[in-house]
Amino acid sequence: MTHFFCRIIKDFRSLCRNIILKGCDFLIRLNDVNKVFTDGHKVLNNINLHIQKGEFVFLVGSSGAGKSTLIKLMLKETEATTGKIVIDNEDITKMRRRYIPHLRRNIGVVFQDFKLLQEKTVYENVAFAMEVIEASPREVRRQVPIILSMVGLSKKYDLYPQQLSGGEQQRVSLARAMVNSPKILIADEPTGNLDPDTSREIMKLLVEINQRGTTILMATHAKDIVDNMKKRVVAIEGGRIVRDEMRGAYCRET
Amino acid sequence: MSLASVTSITATLLVIGIFVMLALNFDYIATNIESQVEMKAFLVDGLGQDVIESMKKNVESLDGVKTVTFESKTQALEKFKEKFNNNSYLLEGLDDRNPLPDSLIVTMISPNNAKEISESISKMSDVENVVYGKEVLDKLLKITYALRVGCLLLIAVLLIISTFIIANTIKLTVFARRREISIMKFVGATDWFVRWPFIIEGVVIGIIGSIITVLALSSVYMYFVKTLSGSMLGIMSFTIMPFSEIVIDTTFFVTCIGIFIGFLGSVISVRKFLKV
Ligand SMILES: Nc1ncnc2c1ncn2[C@@H]1O[C@H](COP(=O)(O)OP(=O)(O)OP(=O)(O)O)[C@@H](O)[C@H]1O
Ligand SMILES: [Mg+2]
Repeated sequence: MTHFFCRIIKDFRSLCRNIILKGCDFLIRLNDVNKVFTDGHKVLNNINLHIQKGEFVFLVGSSGAGKSTLIKLMLKETEATTGKIVIDNEDITKMRRRYIPHLRRNIGVVFQDFKLLQEKTVYENVAFAMEVIEASPREVRRQVPIILSMVGLSKKYDLYPQQLSGGEQQRVSLARAMVNSPKILIADEPTGNLDPDTSREIMKLLVEINQRGTTILMATHAKDIVDNMKKRVVAIEGGRIVRDEMRGAYCRET
Repeated sequence: MSLASVTSITATLLVIGIFVMLALNFDYIATNIESQVEMKAFLVDGLGQDVIESMKKNVESLDGVKTVTFESKTQALEKFKEKFNNNSYLLEGLDDRNPLPDSLIVTMISPNNAKEISESISKMSDVENVVYGKEVLDKLLKITYALRVGCLLLIAVLLIISTFIIANTIKLTVFARRREISIMKFVGATDWFVRWPFIIEGVVIGIIGSIITVLALSSVYMYFVKTLSGSMLGIMSFTIMPFSEIVIDTTFFVTCIGIFIGFLGSVISVRKFLKV
């Protein structure tokens, strides 16, 4: 009997939520997402996260909290154990393997370690991202210089990653992430390897990208950046969302 | 394109190619022997020329019969004498009372039809007996069948083994480019986009390996044919497959197998690295 009522209440709750959420323009929706690794380690616990189009969201939390795992779920690099993840109105938990490339073309990704190809020049590293999705050579020749000038690397297009500073390498990886104009940019500790000044420049670029309409989700440990920006902050601890504030700071305000 | 891949695909293709040549030869020799199998229908004594002619026509009209020739009892005796040339004491007195019957010698399109043909002929009037070396023929059919199946099974097993050897060799190339592959996958490349350069590489390696294999095997075979034709062929009742025929067949099979192994090997070796 109680079981029956519980189910009715649960159904009613999710119905209400669906009605409310339908009205908004959510680009990313995570509902009751759990992730348990095969070794039994429960890394994400009942995550509910909704991100609107055009938002700038910081994901904070101590090491091992589950930030990178959350990001991997959105890229479908690993599967959620239970729950629903909807990105750009597509339920990716039910998505077939062969549609994953289309999901990823909608999401640009930037990592702490840049992940550039050392044997390719700046230009080639960015063009590579377009060639991979089978853009025409003409489009590549048109689009790559535009994006390189946006990140301020027009003059260094012919250099190899080893010839660049960390900040410049991160700009290249930003250019690569943005060259196919994705709706979402996910950055996993993009300033993790950079000094404060260089970090600030990268953040300036991210803000600019965000102002042009790209939704940004950024996992970070950089307290001063989060505190300065006064953007939405989602804090994770032990796999749970413990805080979600619209104009938040790195730590809970006391 | 690694030398290691070409070497290992050539090595496996050489082994497979030897068995392909063996299988082709078994087939060739078997059909040769089969086509030489004769059937003899012994006739009642003292039949007229016209009766024999019409019987010959009847037998010729049977399904699966290739040729029919008449052998009179005198001709049979001549042959018999020829065979036992040195033991003429055996033949003493045979000239006066020739015990050998007249017969029709029947050759068949395929020995598989022997049973039905012999049955139909025995039912005809004036036929005493039909012989065709039933046991020998059955055994021969069984042996050639077993050899063919055996060769094919062996080739199939070798195919599986060599595909995995090749996959492991190509995996080294793929491994060297795993970073590039994972980045490709991150920016939204489809599996096939990542795969096809490796597949082309695998197929090209397969073709190069096949060319080397065919050149090596055919020169060895040519040498083999030359030495054999000089010494042994006279003694044996069969010949091995002529060079011009086997080269075409072997080239076809080895190239197909090479391409197949190269293709499948690359697909398998890339598979693990696509899971990003
Ligand atoms: N494949 C895996 N199998 C088992 N456990 C894993 C696996 N991947 C991650 N984990 C565990 O999940 C937890 C969260 O990892 P995650 O990388 O998401 O943390 P994070 O918040 O990104 O940390 P950091 O800030 O250091 O990057 C860790 O305890 C980690 O050991
Ligand atoms: Mg992390």
